[in-house]
Amino acid sequence: MTEFAPLTWEEVARVYGRKIYNFAYRLTGNPNDAADLVQEVLLRVRKGLEQYQPGSFEGWLWRITRNAFLDGVRKENRRPTTPLPEEIDRWSLAQSPGADVEFARVNLGDDIQKALLELPVEFREAVVMCDVVGLSYDEIAAAVAVPVGTVRSRIHRGRRLLRESLS
Amino acid sequence: MKHASELISAYLDGELGGSELRSLLQHLGECGRCSDELIEIQRVRAAVRSLPVMEVPDGLVPLADVIPLHRNRGFWASAAAAVVIVVIAIAALVTPPATTISADDLNSRFAARVSLDPAFGPAKVILPDTNEIPE
Repeated sequence: MTEFAPLTWEEVARVYGRKIYNFAYRLTGNPNDAADLVQEVLLRVRKGLEQYQPGSFEGWLWRITRNAFLDGVRKENRRPTTPLPEEIDRWSLAQSPGADVEFARVNLGDDIQKALLELPVEFREAVVMCDVVGLSYDEIAAAVAVPVGTVRSRIHRGRRLLRESLS
Repeated sequence: MKHASELISAYLDGELGGSELRSLLQHLGECGRCSDELIEIQRVRAAVRSLPVMEVPDGLVPLADVIPLHRNRGFWASAAAAVVIVVIAIAALVTPPATTISADDLNSRFAARVSLDPAFGPAKVILPDTNEIPE
């Protein structure tokens, strides 16, 4: 397979824009956060292309995308928030407090999306990279910087949790 | 072989090979619990993969403007704007003062124009079918 060789960030946006947006949408669960994340990713791509060394472009791109998502999660967690009373119960339903809860707050339109948002971040990103973006386990391992065995475990545990949520 | 839970997803994703694949297939033939889990995980996997592809909001990703139509588009746009301004200025200077025109006068002029050029008549307006739901 020929390795995609990007010339400009606009070309990256044109070729990968839809994939990045869908990745962002399924991780965040709402179009506004997804759009913010896509803009952040494209900004980082624009800056990063200056130092980009030919290699696994997809691994590089998804690493940037994933890191931008996690940075957004951390930023949200640092921001002091006072949940509205009706939001407290919904937030407390999440399985674990922290980053995954932060984004699981709006637009829980369908059961699958809702179940995805209830997954811990590590499981959610692995499942979304595999089943929404269509990355191989090797590509996910490169993007997340973990062994392939860890990817295998996270995807399966994520799916098991989804099965419990959806049953 | 013990229960093969974590191999099941890798198997469904085509990420299993060699001895692991052979062991799993043999185990699935002997273990009802893992066979049931295979079916359930397959359903979950299919459900996530069935999520609709979301369309990128307009303007978020540059699509139409990534390749400029003209290399010197900025210069020509400025030149065209300057020409328009000059034409408007000249027209304002040479335009005769407004005169009063009666409705009858307008009607007769319109009838004369249509008689010379039938295409000048009112355009046929096609209303969209209101029952049609846009995609």
